[in-house]
Amino acid sequence: MRYLWLGNYLLALLLSACTPPANRQVGDPIRIRWARDPETLDPLAQPNQNTVEAINLLHAGLLQLNFQTSEYAPALAEALPTVQLLGDSLTQLDYHLRAAATWDDGRPVLATDVDFTLKLLNCPGLPNEGVRSQFSFIQQLQLDPTDPRHFKLMCRGQAPEYPWVSGDFPILSEASLDSTHSLRQFSLASLQRAAQTTPALLALAKHYQALSQGYYPNRLPGCGPYRLADWQPNHSLTFERKATWWADQLRPAPLVLQAHPKIIKYIILPDDGAAVLALRRHELDVYPSMQARDFQRLKASPLAQRELAFYSSPSYDLLYAGFNTQCPALRDKLTRQALGCLFDPAGLLAGTQLGQGQRTVGLLPPSSPFYNDSLPLPTYAPAQAVQLLRQAGWQFVAGGWRRSPAQRLALSVRYRTNEETFETVALQFRAAAAKLGIPVELRPTEATTLNHTLHAGDFDVFVRILKGSPLGFNFEPVLHSRAVQEGNFGGFSSPTTDHLLEAIVTASTAARKRQLLRKFQVQLREESPLLPLFFMPYRLAADRHLSHLLPSGLKPGYSAAAIISSGSLPAAARK
Amino acid sequence: MSVRWPAWFFVKLPHQLALGWLALVVLAGLASPMLPLPYPPATPDLLHIAAPPAWSGPGPLHYLGTDPTGRDVLAELVFGARQLLLLSLPAAAAATLLGALAGGAAGFWGNRGLAISWAAVPATIAAAWWVAELPQRLTSALILLIISILLLASKYLSLRYSRRSGNATLFFPLDSLVLGSATLLSAVPRLVLVVALAAGPPLGTGGLLVLLLLVAWPDAARLVRAQMLRVRAQPFVEAARAVGLPAGRIWWRHALPHACRPLWAFAPLSVAGLIGLESTLAFLGIGLLPTTSSWGRLLGTLPQEPTAWWLVAGPGLALLFTLLALQRLAYWLSANQHSQLVLPK
Amino acid sequence: MSFWWVFARLGRALLAAWGIASAIFLTVHLLPAAPDEFTLGDPSELGSAVSLRTSASRQAARQALRHRLGLDEPVFYLTRTAGRPVRWQWHGRHNQYHHWLSLLLRGNLGYSYRTGQPVAALLGPALAYSIPLMVLAAALATGLAIWLALGLANASGALTGWQAVARTLLTGIQALPLFSLSLALLLLLANPDLLNLLPADGMSTDYPPLGGVAWLASYGAHLVLPLLSLVLAVLPELTLPLEATLRQELRADYASTARSKGLTSWQVAYRHALPNALLPLLTSFTGLLPTMVAGTVVVEVLFALPGTGRLLAEAAATHDYPLVIASVLLTSIARMLALLLADVLYFWTDPRLRPSL
Repeated sequence: MRYLWLGNYLLALLLSACTPPANRQVGDPIRIRWARDPETLDPLAQPNQNTVEAINLLHAGLLQLNFQTSEYAPALAEALPTVQLLGDSLTQLDYHLRAAATWDDGRPVLATDVDFTLKLLNCPGLPNEGVRSQFSFIQQLQLDPTDPRHFKLMCRGQAPEYPWVSGDFPILSEASLDSTHSLRQFSLASLQRAAQTTPALLALAKHYQALSQGYYPNRLPGCGPYRLADWQPNHSLTFERKATWWADQLRPAPLVLQAHPKIIKYIILPDDGAAVLALRRHELDVYPSMQARDFQRLKASPLAQRELAFYSSPSYDLLYAGFNTQCPALRDKLTRQALGCLFDPAGLLAGTQLGQGQRTVGLLPPSSPFYNDSLPLPTYAPAQAVQLLRQAGWQFVAGGWRRSPAQRLALSVRYRTNEETFETVALQFRAAAAKLGIPVELRPTEATTLNHTLHAGDFDVFVRILKGSPLGFNFEPVLHSRAVQEGNFGGFSSPTTDHLLEAIVTASTAARKRQLLRKFQVQLREESPLLPLFFMPYRLAADRHLSHLLPSGLKPGYSAAAIISSGSLPAAARK
Repeated sequence: MSVRWPAWFFVKLPHQLALGWLALVVLAGLASPMLPLPYPPATPDLLHIAAPPAWSGPGPLHYLGTDPTGRDVLAELVFGARQLLLLSLPAAAAATLLGALAGGAAGFWGNRGLAISWAAVPATIAAAWWVAELPQRLTSALILLIISILLLASKYLSLRYSRRSGNATLFFPLDSLVLGSATLLSAVPRLVLVVALAAGPPLGTGGLLVLLLLVAWPDAARLVRAQMLRVRAQPFVEAARAVGLPAGRIWWRHALPHACRPLWAFAPLSVAGLIGLESTLAFLGIGLLPTTSSWGRLLGTLPQEPTAWWLVAGPGLALLFTLLALQRLAYWLSANQHSQLVLPK
Repeated sequence: MSFWWVFARLGRALLAAWGIASAIFLTVHLLPAAPDEFTLGDPSELGSAVSLRTSASRQAARQALRHRLGLDEPVFYLTRTAGRPVRWQWHGRHNQYHHWLSLLLRGNLGYSYRTGQPVAALLGPALAYSIPLMVLAAALATGLAIWLALGLANASGALTGWQAVARTLLTGIQALPLFSLSLALLLLLANPDLLNLLPADGMSTDYPPLGGVAWLASYGAHLVLPLLSLVLAVLPELTLPLEATLRQELRADYASTARSKGLTSWQVAYRHALPNALLPLLTSFTGLLPTMVAGTVVVEVLFALPGTGRLLAEAAATHDYPLVIASVLLTSIARMLALLLADVLYFWTDPRLRPSL
């Protein structure tokens, strides 16, 4: 009996701790959900998308993506670089840095910092292998002796992406990392050529590793708007807005250099169901990349409708099925077209994405001005598939499809495990093929081994997502014969397509581009090395009091630094 | 008036229910390809993904709902019973059997019980050398075989012609071997094992059977070994030794049945454990081919659609009834056996 | 039971753990997939710098990565060629296994492939989180199991009232895999549509100041759901075998003697039958100890707890070998110590059980 009051007291205390927090106030931190830990905040090693997002808060680059216009906008640079083509194999990009840009300790951001960063990307002994190979097209940086903020980048080759891709890496401070300027004696080309192990380079690498920038990024001054306030591994990260930031003085403030929230907290919740519950209990403010069914369910709930705002935008990620054109059964285009008729894009879109998303005839979204709308959308047509198979020389003999030189039509489909969408696509294809008498073996593969098997050609059909972008129309990495060892997994090579792809890249007028792209989409339909299913939609749910999230199809789908919180005042509802 | 009722009539109601349910599962498993189900298994119905159970409406209905990939739950349950019959039950039975034999032997003989002759050592080295294809395998294998034959001959001669018995014997460390391999298999975290397997091709039924066997036998072995340590010290074992029965016979007919007593309660739990492992593999996304139906995999799709109660109700209840039936069966059998064990052999 | 016996067993345990870790080391390093796929990015990504690189630069990058991580050396002292003719080659000290072993003997568990951080710095906080949670869960579960088993075993018949319900419930919980149990609890108790009682994630980002009663209440509230699911998950496998053994013991002669002496059935069960029936409980309990180190992936993923299970799962998925091998080493040591503890406890409860040498 004596312990009853103690028990009651403890129970009351426990229950009081369980009540959900009250409505958010203006100064509250903005809590965003991440599904995994960024693992490191080292600008040289960027293992996953969350790291990239965090680094964009801590550091600034020459150019940054503007989520509203889906284009690159100048951040540290004053304007987009002026492009000059030299001969037929070099490109020159002319950059001017902003006069107002400074590091935290007051020193200005100069061209020597950019030079140092580029050389650091190629320094041996640092975890920079991935970034190094991405920027290997930059051959040299020419400083201007008269203007410390002006420099020119020399790039190998003449690709249309160079103007914006060349500015998309964080600039690091030379004075803090390399006060003795030991990297200045090496030229960028010599660093790129061979892994030199001179003592100066090793000492620099050791100094960099000792600073452990991945975990203590505050040890070095960055020129981004935020500072890391706290990091509990695998649980949460907290970023605090710097009190004085150089871009606050700029008038008018460009969109990419705006940073409104005082505190941003990223909370790592690996399970989707738990994250949805946390959002509804107000333990979370922003939930990016929501699944279709969770989104529908939340929208249908009146309680959630009152408290949350829902955003849905088309993304540039295309779900597609590719064929291995090196495989003897799939070498001719009629067989590939026939197999393409066995997928059901309309049904799959309705089933997996609940109707959101866009079907397409080629690699371009229907919203693009260059979309070829005179082509019919791919549909499920088993009768046409049989007809095409017969045309290709297959005959249904003894329970299977056979062709004259003892070829049998039996397929294996590879896709990444643990993905419900891929599995549904593969199972649907298998069921449709089984109706025609084609045996299909499903082989879900782990992510790390998947790339190996795709490069080795150990598959017949694969299902994956192609990450696209609104900038430019360069499809060479996926379909050019030069890219057979790289992104062209199916091994497709045809001279007509190669010429078309190269012509698209160098087309100068919009009319010419439209003509070429329409021709390309027709060619793609004809040759059918891959079957585009649909473009995935992007869904975001956030607290109603937050606005200016800039939801878009570009990764990560929102702009954390641009969010404006209006506290307990109700904001207008968005669809 | 004496009517001879058949023996099964005297079985009590709970036992009848248990037997009835198990018979239903076995029949469903055996006859599954021939049953007139509205939907085939492993076929997604794209219009009804994660649909709740429907009992009225046009066309063929999903009586128990569908899973997040669109597969019909009823078809998956029926074909999952087949998978159960072909995989989980045999794996559990085999693992329990293997564990009982290994654990019983390890507990009974320990490290100093079994004696083998010295000749076995060079013979095994020769075999290993040959298999591993180390350099000069032919000559070394021959030399080692000759050494082992000489050792055998010398032991035979010394036994025959001298008064002293050969006292240089080698004790086979059975307990350490069994315990060591059981520990190795159970100390490796299942995740690592599974990821190591995931790098290879997905497992067919045979591969999965071997995997489940390897994962489940250590627990049974440890239980039986612990019980055998107790039984070994009982007076009836001493008495049997004193009578002069050979060790193998004592072990097989007298000690082992007693030592296997905790297994009656353990065996149904091991079935549940195996099905749980299957569903955890499905949860982690590795292991079974997506075209095999299994109760564990149905349960494993729950995280993709947490509010789909029919995904838990169907396979969960089926699993629960099967476990209860197995438990009831085990209880009945152990009660029968216990009445026979009252009298010592 | 001598000190030397315990010492010898400890030595053997460490040796066995080293053997297991070495076996895992060799197995994972001989797997075909290399950990460089994540660093080098998706080659088909359009519009980004990733797709601009050439095959040559990608090969060079892969080579540089393998060199930095030390993966271009042979795996073991001795390697065998895969195809015919079979040849064995001796590599001396320049192999990955030797480096790993020499670091280990100096107390260094290696450096993670993904982040470069020392593995000990990654494992430390995760262990500091997992171990207290698991110890608490195991203690609660064992106490509850003993109490439940005593209550169930005291029933005279097989199907009387609450005992039958409890046994069915336990079997039901055993039938459900852990994640469906945790999900059910989450959806029941942390759902604004149903009972909105408890927080949805296992740790909060803003606790009240440390040390006060409010902190304790907040911390406790966040731990209730994970603890509840862990205890419920483990309870059936502790209770049911114990209950079966208790029933058998209660049928023995000494139990009827005790009852005829006038003791209540509870006293008979608790004081006389329980010590004899502890054997399977000890087996199951010591089997739980390695889980305390390895954590439970499912609960940690669902409730967002930064424990060792989740760490190991992510390391295994991204092929971060040093972390995987260090976790395996730790788990095998824990398992060996658990076995040693089990043998000591067997001897303590029943001196007739002489431990084998």
